[in-house]
Amino acid sequence: MISPDETPCLKVENLDISIGDTIAVARGINLEIRRGETVALVGESGSGKTVTALSLIDLLPPPLRVTRGTVSICGQKITDATPDVLNRIRGNRVGMIFQQPSSMLDPSCRVGRQVGEALRLHKRASRGEAFERAIELLREVGIPEAGRRARSFAHQLSGGMAQRVMIAAALSGDPDLLIADEPTTALDVTVQAQILGLLERERKQRTLSILLITHDLSIVSAMADRVVVMYAGSIVEEGPVAAIMQAPQHPYTKALIDCSLMRKAGGGDLESIPGTIPSPAQSIPGCRFHPRCPHALARREGSVCASDEPTATRTAEGHLVHCWAAEP
Amino acid sequence: MERFLLKRAIVLVVTLTLVSFLAFLVPWLGDTDPARAIIRSRVADLALDSAAVEALRIRLGLDQPLLHQFFAWLGRVFQGDLGLSFTSRLPVADQILRAIGVSATLALSALLLALAIALPVGTLAAVHQGRRFDGIVTFIAQGFVSIPEYWLAPVLVLLFAVELGWLPSAGWSGFETLILPAAVLCLRPLAYFSQVMRASMIDVLHANYILAARSRGLGLAGALVRHGLRNGIQPVLTVFALWLAGLLGGSVVVEVIFAIPGMGRLIYSAVINNDMPMLQGSIICIVGLAIIINTAADVLYGVLNPTVTVSGDAR
Repeated sequence: MISPDETPCLKVENLDISIGDTIAVARGINLEIRRGETVALVGESGSGKTVTALSLIDLLPPPLRVTRGTVSICGQKITDATPDVLNRIRGNRVGMIFQQPSSMLDPSCRVGRQVGEALRLHKRASRGEAFERAIELLREVGIPEAGRRARSFAHQLSGGMAQRVMIAAALSGDPDLLIADEPTTALDVTVQAQILGLLERERKQRTLSILLITHDLSIVSAMADRVVVMYAGSIVEEGPVAAIMQAPQHPYTKALIDCSLMRKAGGGDLESIPGTIPSPAQSIPGCRFHPRCPHALARREGSVCASDEPTATRTAEGHLVHCWAAEP
Repeated sequence: MERFLLKRAIVLVVTLTLVSFLAFLVPWLGDTDPARAIIRSRVADLALDSAAVEALRIRLGLDQPLLHQFFAWLGRVFQGDLGLSFTSRLPVADQILRAIGVSATLALSALLLALAIALPVGTLAAVHQGRRFDGIVTFIAQGFVSIPEYWLAPVLVLLFAVELGWLPSAGWSGFETLILPAAVLCLRPLAYFSQVMRASMIDVLHANYILAARSRGLGLAGALVRHGLRNGIQPVLTVFALWLAGLLGGSVVVEVIFAIPGMGRLIYSAVINNDMPMLQGSIICIVGLAIIINTAADVLYGVLNPTVTVSGDAR
């Protein structure tokens, strides 16, 4: 059992991310991941998931930047840390895998060297040791003929193979936290299941914490302990996976689950949420979801939804909803 | 790889044959009569003995049909016999070989110097894209492109040779005489290399694999050195090969101003003196070298970039 006062693997408090100074891309993000826990960060494209993920290791591409709040990994504050501190944390305490695995590998560098890079940087391994260990890691993530594959280049690998290589590279420094940004989105369905199985196996073996960023709810219930739902840069609902999937409280989460293919396995038309996600530059007063919200309260003239930002309501243990219509 | 080189060798032979034909036609294009030109180059007397001219014409085979002459000439060319210079009466091939050696030394010095400066400067400009350093680099590069060599060379000679007396003003006798011409010659390629490197490194900086490398704990500089340069340098290599091929033909202005016995001056005096064999031989050698250099660049490109298979065969 995890003791409640244990230092969380990842703690994000009141994080704001903006383009320059003006356009807010993410607002008031609070996140906590405990050791060995998998948290899914869910939302449509453009909801700010990837930006949030990159801010966690302080690699936001300019002009994006954190304007408020703090991020801590294993008790070490990331926000305002020196480059040296950051370089010691990245790859060592936290690893990251991405959506387009093939483009994440240097095309002119043998994959074995890239897998062993974190070992060279953080574990003082020699070039030869790192390469040997890289071969072991490639074997561990299920790459056949690992010795030969370690000497190949990115363009010689399939997408699924490249993602396995990325996982091996991210895990080589033996991190406590793995940030997986849409790790299976670009892959075939059959390969998706293999990659998710691999992540789950590594999580158990290494008591790894995983932040799984996805728009695909069908993989959430299989993988996550807790779910955090983001919409237009804000967290709208968070809670244990069972509660979210079976009794979603926020109209957006409900709509998202209704849209998911899983629910429609028995046939019938696919649902979709009317309207589109607002761009960060668009200013929407009140709840950012209210223009698309089907709830009666939001549809009423002069409703609070259109004027004030909703506060968090606790509907059950560990289940928070940012919605005016939610009842405790 | 072997197949690729074989293909390129065939291209080399075919191209050289075609170029040889054009070079062969050069004397026929102008109104210079080869026999007259030869005699004029040997006797100062301007009143030519037409009987002597006719005798020479028959002796040299100039009375034969054009194609017949061409193939006889081509046969000698492929044996390395480019004939005798009209002016010096020495074998053209020997003189060209010597001059190419000089021009190659000068060109490589200038281009390697340019490359050594352009790689770090272009990379830094890319990292500081849109900021002051980048602006200064672009401004200076534009200046370097617009400064004409015929102006810069005398200015540098006046400054470093005449006023300060640090360096010799002209000649070709070792390292000291190389410095000023190499400096003049390197500015334009330096400007091009640094701008190409800058553009290429801007792409690299935004590449996903740099982000991934940084997520493993490499700093920006480390990620650029380990994963950026090798990818970013490839377009520069292409431009480098073009410049090398161009400069091996000699830089007329720089070689004439600094009295350097390279290809530029050789061709310059060949034109002035109507030295047809020298001109023809120079054209053939320069084209041949250009093809060889481009082939070498392609091979190197394949070594740097594993996604390019040099042979064009599927892996």
